[in-house]
Amino acid sequence: MPSATLLGQALISGVLAGGMYGLLAMGLSLSWGLLRLVNLSHFALAFLAAYIVYELGTTWHVAPWWSAALVVPAMFGIGAAQHWLFDRFRVNELASLLITFSVAVILEAGIQLYWTADFRRYETPYSTLSIKAGPFFIPVLELALCLVAGTLAWGTWLWLRRTFVGKALRASAEDADIAAAYGVNHKQLAYLLSGIGAAYAGIAGTFIALIATLAPAEIWTWLGVVFAVVIIGRLGNPLGALLAGMLIGASQSVAMAIFSPAWAPVVSFSILIVVLLWDPEWL
Amino acid sequence: MLLEVRNLHVGYGDAPALWGVSLEVDTGEIVSVIGPNGAGKTTLINAIAGLLRCRQGELRFDGCDMTRVRAHDYCNHGIALVPEGRRLFAKMSVEENLELGCYRAAARPARTRSLEHIYALFPILRDKRRQVAGELSGGQQQMVAIGRALMARPRIVLFDEPSLGLAPAIVDDMFDIIARVRSEGAAVLLVEQNVLKAAGIADRAYVLEQGRIATHGLPADLLQQPHIREAYLGV
Repeated sequence: MPSATLLGQALISGVLAGGMYGLLAMGLSLSWGLLRLVNLSHFALAFLAAYIVYELGTTWHVAPWWSAALVVPAMFGIGAAQHWLFDRFRVNELASLLITFSVAVILEAGIQLYWTADFRRYETPYSTLSIKAGPFFIPVLELALCLVAGTLAWGTWLWLRRTFVGKALRASAEDADIAAAYGVNHKQLAYLLSGIGAAYAGIAGTFIALIATLAPAEIWTWLGVVFAVVIIGRLGNPLGALLAGMLIGASQSVAMAIFSPAWAPVVSFSILIVVLLWDPEWL
Repeated sequence: MLLEVRNLHVGYGDAPALWGVSLEVDTGEIVSVIGPNGAGKTTLINAIAGLLRCRQGELRFDGCDMTRVRAHDYCNHGIALVPEGRRLFAKMSVEENLELGCYRAAARPARTRSLEHIYALFPILRDKRRQVAGELSGGQQQMVAIGRALMARPRIVLFDEPSLGLAPAIVDDMFDIIARVRSEGAAVLLVEQNVLKAAGIADRAYVLEQGRIATHGLPADLLQQPHIREAYLGV
């Protein structure tokens, strides 16, 4: 059994790592829950954003926040453009999974073509910075990521709950025809939401560039766990996605500290199975 | 004339459901459409609400050609639907359902006033306003469905089988509410299987059979016709 300090540190690192799961899960959860589109290319878009931030930072010496200011709106545009294709070809839930898988594979190939399959690391002065709190270390970048993810999750949740547009999106997800009869232009709102989802991928990508080592195949590393997070957090619920992300992150990290790193994926999917057995209507 | 339907044809895929239906509703009128199951009553009302597209024929509302209007703009002309089976947004709260009713830009500024009006009409909904709509009883859900329609500040309310699946005592309440909707200035088009109730409240009535208007006139006159008495009243 590891010491209390080690467990505490594992818990902190896990929650912080879970912030990334949550941030990646949010955009996915919104489009799956509210538009019934399962967007696998979300991961590829996040990595595309990460590579662009890396490129701007290393070649042009652009500060990451300025890169983000450029990349995030661009991603919004890409998300809306992608939705135009979904709309044009009347893509349904299953087809969206297959099509966005292909889009992700193409993006991966594109990234590999331009940046090669080599591992890339974006070194910044603050990448190793951490705050010392008692016996624990809190890495600054991960903390910033969690703050950003928390603000986004909370803001998006309020937007869906409190505003007319948010309520219209939720109503449309339940009964699009009746929502339309009351004036909801689902098509227009779907473009907005797709753009927002992709913009979140852009924000996640910025942090991926700063925190992780980049390689084209890394697109797929988070796929499984983020899917579990999306479902555990309940589709269409950004706050749920973040909390589920942190729960999974913490459980994985603690399991790794107590048992072995091989246990990490077992934990996330065990939680998923327990949730679905406990309430089969959860999805 | 507020609502004019002329020679309307509507279908699902290759299967036609309405064959040249014509009807009219004037301001301040309650008009009933009665007919057996499968006659096309819901199809007719959904076409007038913009949920289904017309194949052929005219659909005019206050002189405007509605066949050119996009589905989500129908409500902006003042058409509100109380759909069959209520079709509430079941996972959303009662108040959110009502608020969706005033989603259209012209009804939004009156949100608070309209909500107060609905809660005065259905006091039980004020107590349940934070509750998820799917958890309400059938009668209460019907109140939400009617409230949602009234929140849109409509010029005509389309009721599709409002009494379906409700206890008899509540059915009477529903018809009182329908009469009240008219007295507040909106026209009513009512589709009902409860022929006596529908005829009792209506100024005029149409009989829809197999996708066609079989006959129309004053409710009292229709109830005298042997064919109607036999088919709908069993006497």
